[in-house]
Amino acid sequence: MAKNFDTRAVRPAIKGHHFWLEPYLFLLPALLVFGMFLYYPFFRTIFLSMFLTNKTGHAKIFVAFTDKDNYLTLFQSKSFWASVAVTFRFVFAVALGGLLIGLTSSLLTEKKYRGSNFTAAVYAMPIAIASAAASMTFKMVLHPTNGLLNNLLGTQINFTGDVRYALASVIGLTIWLTSGINFIFISAGLRNVPAELYDSAAVDGAGYWRRVWSVTIPSISPTLFFQIIINIIGAFQSFSQIKLLTEGGPGDATNVMVWSIYMDAFRNFRFGAAAARSVILFLIVLVITIIQFRFEKRGVNY
Amino acid sequence: MRIHTVQRRKLQNVGRFILNIPLMLVILVPLLYTFSISVMPPDEIYGNHLIPTSVKFTNYIQAFTNPYYNFPRMILNSFIVATTVMLGQMVTCSLAAFSFSFLEFKGKKLLFLAVLATMMVPGEVTIIANYLTMMRWGWLDSYRALTFPFLTSAMGVFLLRQYYLTFAKELYEAAKLDGCSNLRFLGSIVVPLSRPALGALGAYVFLNTWNQYMWPLLVTNSRNYRTVQIGISMLYDIDAVSLGLMMAGVVIVIVPSLSIFVFMNKQLINGLMSGAVKG
Repeated sequence: MAKNFDTRAVRPAIKGHHFWLEPYLFLLPALLVFGMFLYYPFFRTIFLSMFLTNKTGHAKIFVAFTDKDNYLTLFQSKSFWASVAVTFRFVFAVALGGLLIGLTSSLLTEKKYRGSNFTAAVYAMPIAIASAAASMTFKMVLHPTNGLLNNLLGTQINFTGDVRYALASVIGLTIWLTSGINFIFISAGLRNVPAELYDSAAVDGAGYWRRVWSVTIPSISPTLFFQIIINIIGAFQSFSQIKLLTEGGPGDATNVMVWSIYMDAFRNFRFGAAAARSVILFLIVLVITIIQFRFEKRGVNY
Repeated sequence: MRIHTVQRRKLQNVGRFILNIPLMLVILVPLLYTFSISVMPPDEIYGNHLIPTSVKFTNYIQAFTNPYYNFPRMILNSFIVATTVMLGQMVTCSLAAFSFSFLEFKGKKLLFLAVLATMMVPGEVTIIANYLTMMRWGWLDSYRALTFPFLTSAMGVFLLRQYYLTFAKELYEAAKLDGCSNLRFLGSIVVPLSRPALGALGAYVFLNTWNQYMWPLLVTNSRNYRTVQIGISMLYDIDAVSLGLMMAGVVIVIVPSLSIFVFMNKQLINGLMSGAVKG
């Protein structure tokens, strides 16, 4: 089996230098941690998703393929589909918003000027800020009576408690949080665009916007695609923002999938149902990752 | 003529800076506002001031001294946890990366794929099962629960392996001829030579652990093991009225994160870029 894998391409074998078990001993600490806290819980989650559990999370009644099946119950519940819909809206808005803010900040700092290093540092900074800390900051900015936003608008809107604004609030916060990584990757992509492309566009007399549209964006399309995927996967995993700003509410307005997993497991103690939701989340992220691999091989370019 | 171009360049400089102002404000204002509220006396917060008329650090003093919050303990907890996880990953990932890049063994490719595959599983997917494990082992409310699940990472193995592969294999062969053991070769030659990669891993892992929220929230209940990120949200739960105190907590928690960003910027961004490259 192992003979089929030719690892010599990477580094020629150096034989006879070590005890045969040694390579595995070097891997042991890492594999132990992966085994206990990644492989085992992964399969445990799939296993649990087929059971009804008691309050301490012990699998009690096997319900897979019966009318009490956790997946079936989810697919029949309105709240689940509401949660899926909210999640996709949230993810779509965050992925696109993050990309736009990243592209804008990258284009604005593309040409060096005095102080552009400071500007770039400001744009990258959100990568360092914890989502919990940023959530508390936004809680203050969006505060119904004393917050900055209401102060500036001269209103008293309860942004996080109003169905009309709650989702937009967490989307805004999440875009703010991801703007740093979007800026870093997209501006790195911009630096790799060959200068000749711009030169020939300049010779053709193309204006700035024309150049951005027909030279810059096509040249960095692989970066933009990759960044959209990163944004999507990241957005699917958002939790702190929801927990600290809206608690999934009002109603189901911000009830994204990770929040519903948390609620099922740690508020309602329905670990089986929560496990089923986790498996669904995994499958969605898996599909997106596979799409990414497919496109990366082909290369997104015009 | 020359003066003309100098002036034009100056104008261009100013123009570019002005174009950047709106977006910079979007990023900076929430943080500046947080700081502003944290040093404001309560009557000014409730009077909807944006900038304090006088700077008061009472909120900070209260955050540090109020025994009910026990904020210093949470800061200590976060430092212990982030440092342990950082050092743990440096050790386990160095060992694994060494094996994957210098040694030959059966099933190497398969095991490497098994490590990479862990990147495909979002932490939120396994969080319930991991929580139940902690409960069964009686590990809830302990440093073990906060650190053990994060003592290695595929990203760390991958990052270090990429770096090790750039080393000339003659280096390894020469050391072997001199009778140097693998462990000694790793410890006295590979690790010192791979400081940039270890720095990137360290900065990235420390920051990520310091910033963790969901896992610490689930596995800690007592104030003795709460980390700072949970601490700042508790400041709100306990006393929603003292917005100033809450914001002081946020500033305290952000300072270490920002310090890493400022002083280890290059390492952090290198770590981030290899961390985001899935597969």
